[in-house]
Amino acid sequence: MSHSTVVTSAPKQNLWEGGRSPYNVSYGKIMMWFFLLSDALTFGALLISYGTTRFFSAVWPDPNEVFKAFPFMHGQNLPLLFVSLMTFILIMSSVTMVLAVHAGHYNDKKSVAKWLLWTIIGGICFLACQAWEWTHLHGEIGGLWGTFTDPATPTSSFSHFFNQDLAGHVLSTQPGMAMQSTHNFFNYFFTITGFHGGHVTSGVVFNILILVNTVNGVYERRGHYEMIEKIGLYWHFVDLVWVFVFTCFYLL
Amino acid sequence: MSAHHNTDSIQHLYEGDQSKLYSGVMAHHSDINSTESKTQIKKIWKVFWILLVITVVEVGMGMFFSHSIPKAVINFLFLALTLLKAGYIVAIFMHLGDEFKGFIASVLIPLVLFVWFIIAFLADGFFWLRMNNSSPAREQIENVAHSTKK
Repeated sequence: MSHSTVVTSAPKQNLWEGGRSPYNVSYGKIMMWFFLLSDALTFGALLISYGTTRFFSAVWPDPNEVFKAFPFMHGQNLPLLFVSLMTFILIMSSVTMVLAVHAGHYNDKKSVAKWLLWTIIGGICFLACQAWEWTHLHGEIGGLWGTFTDPATPTSSFSHFFNQDLAGHVLSTQPGMAMQSTHNFFNYFFTITGFHGGHVTSGVVFNILILVNTVNGVYERRGHYEMIEKIGLYWHFVDLVWVFVFTCFYLL
Repeated sequence: MSAHHNTDSIQHLYEGDQSKLYSGVMAHHSDINSTESKTQIKKIWKVFWILLVITVVEVGMGMFFSHSIPKAVINFLFLALTLLKAGYIVAIFMHLGDEFKGFIASVLIPLVLFVWFIIAFLADGFFWLRMNNSSPAREQIENVAHSTKK
């Protein structure tokens, strides 16, 4: 970015000798970065505990079997397609966010407002997709927190989540083992995607707040649009987390 | 704080707002239609296409090759592509690549904890599975070993 090139032309040895900010980043932005760092550790802890549980389970539901539905395409086998759409929406909204940040650097109020609006629309679309997926998983597949615990559950109600070549033996000899995995799978799935969805929701709220401020000229009067950058960092982080959630739940 | 670019023209705009110093006001951005701005926007869209292609490749691998390529190989590829995507998002979209080296290090070094975190916990899960006598995986491994002996 050009504002850093302006500063890097200064002599290097002066960086930590006082008289200037050695990071050339404002307090608010540094604090947003360190908040995101702590949030990354929280998400990391959730994903790693999911991984640990998966490693000590003899069998695990196959994402190609669990996530194969698409709205209005009832009964068709379309693995991973819907989550690809969700990923696309989130990446797209990240692009519109970075374009809003870019417009902010040029104090272009109209463009900032336009791109923020697109970002909000993207966020809402993502949340709508997630709502559909949760409803589908709960209503048609029976998954939610604390499901698949009743020992009387027939094997047929969860055996179709598994890859028959890999889990067939366990399903026939120790179906309780497979049911325990299904239980763990849904607990982690709803906790982690729920925590992520909560982040998206608050991100949308923040975006609406800064859109209102932009339109009202708050940042124009302040002389800079750094608040867009700070919320932008948060929004990109939410996208970043989704990249890992996507890999851990749908691909691996 | 007083040691920063200490001109009256900054202070009268927004007293006490440090952000002023780093927010581009000092960098004299003016025209969003300038070549410099357009280069930036081009770069953003380029990264978008890269992220999209990586995602399509990942989904394609997951849909068509998840059972034909060895699990360890395909998982390694998934993780490598994931880290590549994460790198692009952090470096370009979050502009971390444009910050000073010291700041980049301050953000990234704490993440090294994850190396220990992931190895330790996954190894523990794996160990537990192996030590668990009632585990069907163990039974399965023994059955396979038995049948190959015959």
